[in-house]
Amino acid sequence: MKAPMKWLNEYTKINMPAEEYAKRMIMTGTAVEGWENTSKFTNVVIGLVKTCEMHPDSDHLHVCTVDVGGEKDLQIVCGAPNVHAGARVFCALEGAVLPGGVTIKHGKIRGVESFGMLCSGPELDIPEGLYPHCGNEGIVLVKEDVAVGTDVRDFLGLGDDVIEYEILANRPDCLSVWGVARESATVLGEHFVMPEISFAENGKGAFSDYAKVIVEDEVNCPRYCARIITNVKIGPSPKWMREYLHGAGVRSINNIVDITNFVMLETGHPMHAFDLSKVREQTIVVRRAHEGEELTTLDGKTHTLTSDMLVIADKEKATGLAGIMGGEESEIVNDTASVLFECAAFERGNNRVTARKLGIRTESSGRFEKGVCAETAMQALDRACMLVEQLGCGEIVPGAFDNYPNPKPERVITASCERIRRRIGVKVDNEKMEDILLSLNIDTELNGDTLTCTVPAYRVDIEGEADLSEEILRLYGYDAIPSTLMSGETMAGKRNEAQSFGAGIKNALVGMGFFEAQTFSFISPKWIEKLGLSEGDARLNPVVIRNPLGEDTSVMRTSLVPSMLNALSLNISRGNPEAKIMEISPVFMPAKNEGDLPEHVPTLIVGMYGENADFFKMKEVVMCLCAVYGLKPFVTAGGDGYFHPGRKANLTLRGGSVKLGQMGEVHPDVAEAFDISGRVYVAEIDIAALKSCAVQIPAVKPLPKFPAVSRDIALVMDESVPAGQVMMAIEKGAGRLLENVKLFDVYRGERLGENKKSLAFSISFRSPDHTLTESEITGAMEKILKNCEKSCGAVIRA
Amino acid sequence: MQAKVLEITNGTLNELKGISDSQALEQLRVRVLGKKGELTSILRGMGQVAPEMRPMVGQWVNEARATIENAIQEAQSAIAKKEKEKRLEKEAIDVTLPVNERSAGSLHPMNMVLEELLDIFTGMGFEAVEGPEVEYDHFNFELMNIPKNHPARDAQDTFYVDDNIVLRTHTSPVQARIMTTRKPPIRIVSFGRVYRADEADATHSPVFHQLEGLVIDENISMGDLKGTLDTFARRLYGDGVTTRFRPSFFPFTEPSAEVDLTCAACRGKGCRICKDTGWIEVLGSGMVNPKVLEMCGIDSKKYSGFAFGMGVERLCNLKYNVPDMRYLYENDIRFLKHFRG
Repeated sequence: MKAPMKWLNEYTKINMPAEEYAKRMIMTGTAVEGWENTSKFTNVVIGLVKTCEMHPDSDHLHVCTVDVGGEKDLQIVCGAPNVHAGARVFCALEGAVLPGGVTIKHGKIRGVESFGMLCSGPELDIPEGLYPHCGNEGIVLVKEDVAVGTDVRDFLGLGDDVIEYEILANRPDCLSVWGVARESATVLGEHFVMPEISFAENGKGAFSDYAKVIVEDEVNCPRYCARIITNVKIGPSPKWMREYLHGAGVRSINNIVDITNFVMLETGHPMHAFDLSKVREQTIVVRRAHEGEELTTLDGKTHTLTSDMLVIADKEKATGLAGIMGGEESEIVNDTASVLFECAAFERGNNRVTARKLGIRTESSGRFEKGVCAETAMQALDRACMLVEQLGCGEIVPGAFDNYPNPKPERVITASCERIRRRIGVKVDNEKMEDILLSLNIDTELNGDTLTCTVPAYRVDIEGEADLSEEILRLYGYDAIPSTLMSGETMAGKRNEAQSFGAGIKNALVGMGFFEAQTFSFISPKWIEKLGLSEGDARLNPVVIRNPLGEDTSVMRTSLVPSMLNALSLNISRGNPEAKIMEISPVFMPAKNEGDLPEHVPTLIVGMYGENADFFKMKEVVMCLCAVYGLKPFVTAGGDGYFHPGRKANLTLRGGSVKLGQMGEVHPDVAEAFDISGRVYVAEIDIAALKSCAVQIPAVKPLPKFPAVSRDIALVMDESVPAGQVMMAIEKGAGRLLENVKLFDVYRGERLGENKKSLAFSISFRSPDHTLTESEITGAMEKILKNCEKSCGAVIRA
Repeated sequence: MQAKVLEITNGTLNELKGISDSQALEQLRVRVLGKKGELTSILRGMGQVAPEMRPMVGQWVNEARATIENAIQEAQSAIAKKEKEKRLEKEAIDVTLPVNERSAGSLHPMNMVLEELLDIFTGMGFEAVEGPEVEYDHFNFELMNIPKNHPARDAQDTFYVDDNIVLRTHTSPVQARIMTTRKPPIRIVSFGRVYRADEADATHSPVFHQLEGLVIDENISMGDLKGTLDTFARRLYGDGVTTRFRPSFFPFTEPSAEVDLTCAACRGKGCRICKDTGWIEVLGSGMVNPKVLEMCGIDSKKYSGFAFGMGVERLCNLKYNVPDMRYLYENDIRFLKHFRG
């Protein structure tokens, strides 16, 4: 919110530079975003053009002599078509600085010396609304008989500092000049003086002779006040009012509209003025819109309304959106003769929803959304009437309409000084508390430890002791808060098991050269479709965000694969030769029951590409990670369709009963869908599965005392038999004496025959309690061979 | 006889000086001390020595043998040493030849900062807790004293799943879940991802991380909040760093405060980073609103508490001078490698 310093000073005294004022306000809780001077120029004065001749060497330039109140007149060359002898003008003197930083110097224009510049409105950044006599057609011609040499800033009332506040959501009362003046007075220890509001009801008849108001929805319109102004004379507002409006950032329109805006800015009460002749049957109805009802607002836009929206209507149809924007039909125009002033309170929730739905935000709706105090509505309406009288722009009809069926009861809060001290931790004595509350216009009585406070209606935020404690603390000064240690029992700080587990996984992967990524949790549904999952897969049914920023961020991810592929793709597209990245994040699986939260499944994804990446490098990573937790996953060919059909593996634990995840090379079609042309590898691990199977480090066993014996064998089998199957057969056959099986050679050759391969294993045996005998080993080897032949069709290589 | 022994001894010792390889040395040893060696042959010829002279000759020979053996041994170790030096010299390699660098990876910088924050707060007796990211409106807003259509909802532009489920806009719903299920004393930090409907730009991200603290006990005051945050500030940025409290408004705290920390870059002198103020705005905080306590089933007459919260990305960007928020979510490996590896 913007407020000109001069306007604030009408009601209190802010006798310090803007910078110091801002600091004091900030430290007591009113955020000041900055301040700006309304004048963007210097050294421009009122001049009187005494002579005006054509330039000897030009068909459009004039050579003028201008009286600027100095010792001698200035010769100035001017190109404006409207310059003439006898005109009063805005004259920039030598050394003047104009908006944009231009400095005026004397110089020659086509051989004629010029000692200044006659200015147009835009050249001085003066809007039409502030001074109506200037347009784009030439220089400003001043109509008033103002003394030559007068500084134009003084003439226009420019040069004031305008303070820009950021009013917090709990202080809607400060969205007004009175509000911040009152707050400033409290903070600076000055007085806040309300203007004495009085006016003569000089119109004829009574309210009911002119209009009728029916409030159908008293919930969404808790108070409606209205008055009638007759014999209206529409015209420009006086200079002082235009100056204030300009400073506050509001465009001047005409006296009646300006009064409503002025009152809104000054009191915080949005107002509306209706041209009474345009209100059918002179009846105002405050009601909900009919479903599908159409309304064209002041900005010329037509809206289709729904039945939850509050409108101001006449007997026939809606003419305005209550508290948001008036309708085109009843707009004030130049020949408006009688006006109905509305000053109402509309319920903030309804107002907010309507404004959002229709995408309209106005000064008015912004205030109603944050809460407008119903109690002071009539006061604001009276202030408007007072201005009508002051401006002489109409006659005020005796009597007002006021529908306020449920006035809010007075708020009385009792509080304990001791409890407040305990809460704020600052030793403020009881009397000081009372003083501070009184300075806030909170009617306070101190009785022993008890404060009994009657809160002014406009302080909607003060509801209890905690709120009073904040008022006391912020005005006493937050700097007084001591730094104390919490008493009470000592508590052990800790991370929980899941957090430590996740950190452990990440550390292991960091050791293996992986970098942790952070990708958005919401993705495009198209990215999931690109994975080519089969119909009915739960991942194709993600949680949808109702109001996403865009399609790419519109569903909660059910898989980390698309995010990983995008991250790899970005790195490839930027020419990074290799990347190894990982992320731990939940995937969001749709809830089983309607209304439940989606299931958050913590998942690890690992991705890599580059010279050093292949299926087995990725397998090493997975095996190594599992080894950290004492696990050796069971790896079988298979996995989702987004992997290369011949290079993918399912990972299981506990003999296949626990699904750990899957890994593989990404299918070239899927890679291509993510703009990846080379080979990339990913692994997905279910963290809960890994955690539930993780093996605690067991008790230490004595190191072996007896030697191991090792035997090598080479087996021949069909090409299609996986090595893993053969190793399992060896393990099963060897029994308890087996210490280790290692594959050390894979051979294919003509001698073996077509579709055959040979695998060579080194098998070691050991017993914990004796040196193995030759017959024990031979026996074990025989069993191994037998088992391999039986389950894999493998025979010893000749 | 004695002269002969002496002659052998001196001769051998002289010869030793000229020997530089172990093979020649061995030959000399065999020639003098071997079974058929010069010295041994004297003992062999003992039969021709007068019996009374024999012990003396024996002694001369043994002494000579000992002297020669010592000398040979010395020579041997000297030669061995020289030979080893030669071998090692030959084995020299060009240590500047490049290798395949197996770099270590690293945590994401945001998580590095988050881990640091968790270390500080768990060290101060806070328990780290987490909760769902897709959350009920009830926990995210209602229990935080932000009813439907409250203007405070504007400050946190929210992603909705349906009327009752949102993407949490802060980690406060975790606090609500703890308050509704545990009895005081409570001392927790909740952390994790939060979501706001802001377009990604240099200073905003629709996904970011928060860390929030909550303490509830008897007699907790605003001074305890300041004490806690002062300690936190010192542990994060070092001695001499302190906090400045400014009045503010949050629906879930009363009184509320924005908290600035002494600018770590200039130690409060004023610099580009703190825009010459000497302070960096880092936290929102305050005393838990009694309404929040009551809604969560905690007796606000008996208990009071404080809460504070901060954005992890902001601290990360301040710490590492990250120029653009989008760097954190792009995952360009060159950016990630900046943090080691």
